[in-house]
Amino acid sequence: MVSSLKNWLWPVVGIVSLLVLWHAAVVVFQVKTFVAPSPLAVVAALWTNRWLLLNNLYPTALEAISGFALGNTVAVLLATLFIHSQTLRRMYFPAVVIFNTIPIIALSPILILIFGLTVTSKVIIAAIICLFPTLVNMIRGFEAVSASELELMRIMAASRREVFFRLRLPRSLPFLFSALRIASTTCVIGAIVSEWIGARDGIGVLIIQSTFEYRTEVLYASIVTSSALALTLFGIVALVEAAAVRWRTN
Amino acid sequence: MAHSAFSLHELGVTFGLADRSVVAFRDVSLEAEAGQFIVLIGPSGCGKSTLLRTIGDLLPASLGLVSVFGTEPRSARMERKISFVFQDATLLPWRTVLQNVQLPLQVGGWRKTGRPNRSPEDMIALVGLSGRENAYPRELSGGQRQRVSIARALVTNPDILLMDEPFGALDEITRDRLNEELLRIWREIGTTIVFVTHGLSEAAFLGEKVVVMSANPGRIMQVVDLTERKPGNRIDRSSAEFFEIASELRTILHRAYGEA
Ligand SMILES: Nc1ncnc2c1ncn2[C@@H]1O[C@H](COP(=O)(O)OP(=O)(O)OP(=O)(O)O)[C@@H](O)[C@H]1O
Ligand SMILES: [Mg+2]
Repeated sequence: MVSSLKNWLWPVVGIVSLLVLWHAAVVVFQVKTFVAPSPLAVVAALWTNRWLLLNNLYPTALEAISGFALGNTVAVLLATLFIHSQTLRRMYFPAVVIFNTIPIIALSPILILIFGLTVTSKVIIAAIICLFPTLVNMIRGFEAVSASELELMRIMAASRREVFFRLRLPRSLPFLFSALRIASTTCVIGAIVSEWIGARDGIGVLIIQSTFEYRTEVLYASIVTSSALALTLFGIVALVEAAAVRWRTN
Repeated sequence: MAHSAFSLHELGVTFGLADRSVVAFRDVSLEAEAGQFIVLIGPSGCGKSTLLRTIGDLLPASLGLVSVFGTEPRSARMERKISFVFQDATLLPWRTVLQNVQLPLQVGGWRKTGRPNRSPEDMIALVGLSGRENAYPRELSGGQRQRVSIARALVTNPDILLMDEPFGALDEITRDRLNEELLRIWREIGTTIVFVTHGLSEAAFLGEKVVVMSANPGRIMQVVDLTERKPGNRIDRSSAEFFEIASELRTILHRAYGEA
């Protein structure tokens, strides 16, 4: 209990000190609110705009979480395919790498042209942004088995399926979770970026609108809201990881 | 004559292709009776591990013939007659001791073989780890992990147990203890054991038949039969006979190293 308090203390002190510094800078240099609001103004904006923020958080969260689920599922399935077929891997892994070099901001309009201003195009963007890191990590994870572990499975006449489920999959879990940690924050970024290109609501839309209308404190409040979403997802992944990969601790 | 456990006829294994090939060993002919304790000893790189892997169908033979209980090694393996103990215990860290020992019964179509298995709990008791069933591998010492891997190898009641320097990483006293336990277990279950080691006293203590190999290329140099000198494969480590056997093996081994 005491140690967990200590774990929390220093990050909190660090963040509070930065906020104090920010506030001091705004006051000392007499920065205008529409240029950069003080943290107190942002907190106030969070409260006064709470319904606006929540209403726009809902679609963003939905897109981000659906994209997270879709992108990671596809990544794990692709990784499974690639470790079972060297040919498929040679054929399609380079294509995936090339696809990954397309800027997400350029992919958005393409998907909007195909799917329209629907949730689908946003979910797909969020999924794509999660896919690559998870795919690479999962391939590494599935291959993180030792030669003697494979020999052990072979001497027990284990089938490929058994090697996969009894050995490769559990071995890959730490790799999966480090990929999911990354994905938990990038999926939110993917959702927001796709909302910029074209959407009716969402945190991304709010960011664009408040910028154009010089409602800077709302812009900052939107950023805080999207960070809170990403941190929540990150926290959930960390909790699930702690429960699933207990054998690795200590 | 007793039932044959395995027979090797002019066996050879070569790694790599053509001009880049490495001969692990060649012209190895050897017979083992069911229930025998065979020890393989020889300089590093003489092909002991490779030979063991070939018998266990982890590697194909390049030349010659292997038969294990009258069949190809592959059938013997698929029928789950073979168990292997590796130098590192190779326990799955996400499984407890008990779950690790149960693993061989959960894969490879164990039920379909119709072979009777031993109780995992009994095997854990046999290797002296009762009470640690729910421990994870990381909570065990190196010696305890190796005991677990022996329990896992025994749970399928194998006809032949292949052991590649299982105690190589342990201190001498622990190794002596585990050697005694291994002999006790072997007497209790009567399986054939092929045991690879670098240790002279380990070889002298364990083996009914000690196969000395030499390197470059690997081959059998001499087979020392100790069945008459160690009745019931029992010997006192402080007896004169034990020292005599050990020094005899030492002389042969020196020649094996000399030829390398
Ligand atoms: N997978 C492999 N590919 C190529 N060469 C190999 C391979 N495995 C073993 N060798 C070679 O075969 C020879 C025999 O190796 P092996 O591991 O069987 O020796 P060993 O007697 O077990 O040695 P040690 O006592 O050091 O364990 C060596 O020359 C080694 O370099
Ligand atoms: Mg070896």
